[in-house]
Amino acid sequence: MSPSEKRTTHFGYQEVAVDEKASRVADVFHSVATRYDIMNDLMSMGIHRIWKRLAIERAGVRPGHHVLDIAGGTGDLTLKFSRLVGPRGKVVLADINASMLNVGRDKLMDNGVGGNVEYVQANAECLPFPDNSFDCITIAFGLRNVTDKDAALRSMTRVLKPGGRLLVLEFSKPNSALLSKAYDEYSFRLLPKMGELVAGDGESYRYLAESIRMHPDQETLKGMMETAGLDRVEYTNLTGGIVALHRGIKL
Amino acid sequence: MLVTPTLLLAGCERTLNALLARDPAAPARLSALAGSRLLVRLEKPHLQLVLHYHHAGIDLLRGDDLDETDVDAIVELTPETLSEWLSGASIERLMFDGKLSVRGRIHLLEATRDLLFDLDIDWEGELARWLGDMPAHSLAEGVRRAARWGLRAKDELLQDVSEYVFEEARILPGRQQRDVLRDHLTELEIATDRLEAKLNRLHKRLTQLTTNQSPNKQPHLEEPR
Repeated sequence: MSPSEKRTTHFGYQEVAVDEKASRVADVFHSVATRYDIMNDLMSMGIHRIWKRLAIERAGVRPGHHVLDIAGGTGDLTLKFSRLVGPRGKVVLADINASMLNVGRDKLMDNGVGGNVEYVQANAECLPFPDNSFDCITIAFGLRNVTDKDAALRSMTRVLKPGGRLLVLEFSKPNSALLSKAYDEYSFRLLPKMGELVAGDGESYRYLAESIRMHPDQETLKGMMETAGLDRVEYTNLTGGIVALHRGIKL
Repeated sequence: MLVTPTLLLAGCERTLNALLARDPAAPARLSALAGSRLLVRLEKPHLQLVLHYHHAGIDLLRGDDLDETDVDAIVELTPETLSEWLSGASIERLMFDGKLSVRGRIHLLEATRDLLFDLDIDWEGELARWLGDMPAHSLAEGVRRAARWGLRAKDELLQDVSEYVFEEARILPGRQQRDVLRDHLTELEIATDRLEAKLNRLHKRLTQLTTNQSPNKQPHLEEPR
C-alpha cells in the first residue's frame, strides 16, 4: 500500500494533483490577462456586461459600505462599486493572479478611480482579512477556478459582516437540452478557435469551457453556500441558465 | 425576460454618458454634482430610478430596494407632470400646483435639468476628429445653411398659404372680416331688440285702451258720408 495517495482534482476535463491545479490556473490567467476584456466581449457578445450589471443591482451597495471583489481581475465590478460606495466607503479588489491584478489596476486608474480602492493579491480559500469586515462580497466568474470551493465559501462567510451579502456570479447548467447542445457546440468548437485567433492561446479557452462543465449546478452551489453558513440563499438564472447569480446573507 | 429592463437601462446610460461627454459644459456641472444621488419615482408605470452623479457621467440604477435616507433628493411625479417639466414649466409652479412632490435638496432637480436639457453638443468638434478641421467646418457650415434655409422656407410657406386662403381664394374668412360681420350682427340684434320693445309697448297701450272703455258705452261710430 502506498504511504499516501496523491489527492487529485479536475483541471477542466483532466485530472491533476490538487497542489498543481492552482498553478495551472495561474498559467491560464497569466496568458489571457492582456486580452481578457476583448475576449469576454467577443465570447459573450457583450452580454457579460449585462450579467455584471445585474449582479451590481442585486448587491445593494450603499455609500459608506466596504466591498470585497474577489477574482475581480480587470476591475469591471470594482469600477462601479467604487462610485457607489463614495469617498467614505472602500472597495478591495482581490485576485490571486498578479497579471490580472496589474491589468485591473491600470484600467481602474485610467478610468479615474481614486483613493477608495485597494488592491490585494489573495487566495479566496484563505482570505487575509479580519472577521466581519465587509458589507458585500462579490465573486464574478471566479469560483469555478478555485480548487477548494467549500473552503473559499467558508472564508468568504467569515469575513462578511452580519447582514452582509455574498454574490456569486458564475456559469452554470442551462435549463433546456436544446440550449445545452447549442452551448456545447459554441464552447468547444468556436471558443478555442476565437482564443487562438485573438489571444493566441486556444488551450486556455478550452480549459475555460471545460471548467464550466465541471462547475456545480445551481442547486448544488446553493447547498454549498448554505453549508458554509449563509442563509436565505437564492439564485437567479440568466440567459436560460447559462449563467446563474447566487445570493446569500450572513445572519 | 429578466435582462430586458437592465439592457434598456444600460443602453440609456451609455447614450446619456456619450452625449454628456460631447458637451463642453458638462464636466463642470458634473463636478458640482458628483457624489449626489437623485431618486425619481414615476407613478404610472411604477418605476423607481436612481441617478447617481459622478465626475465622468451619470449611473442609472434601479431603486427598487433602496432606502430613502441614502439619496439626496426624491422626486415623485406622473407622466403628465414629466412632460410639462420637460417642456419648460418651472419647478416651483409644478410644486404649488401639487403635481410634483420633492423632498431633500431641490436644487438637484434644477441642476439635472440644466445638465440634461441644456446640452450643447459640440458635434462639429466630434466631426473634426474624424474628418479633420477644414472638412468638418465646411460640412458643418453646409448643414447649418441647409437648416436655416429649411426654417425660412417653412415660415414663407405658412405665410403664402395663409394669404392665399384668406385673401385670394377667400375660402375662409379672415379675422378682420369676421370682426366686421360680428359688429353688423350686433347692431342688427340691438335694432331687433328695440323693435320688439316698441311693439310690446304699443300692444300694451292698445290693450289698455280697449279695457278702459266701459262695456255699456257704444263706441262712437262716424256716420258714413
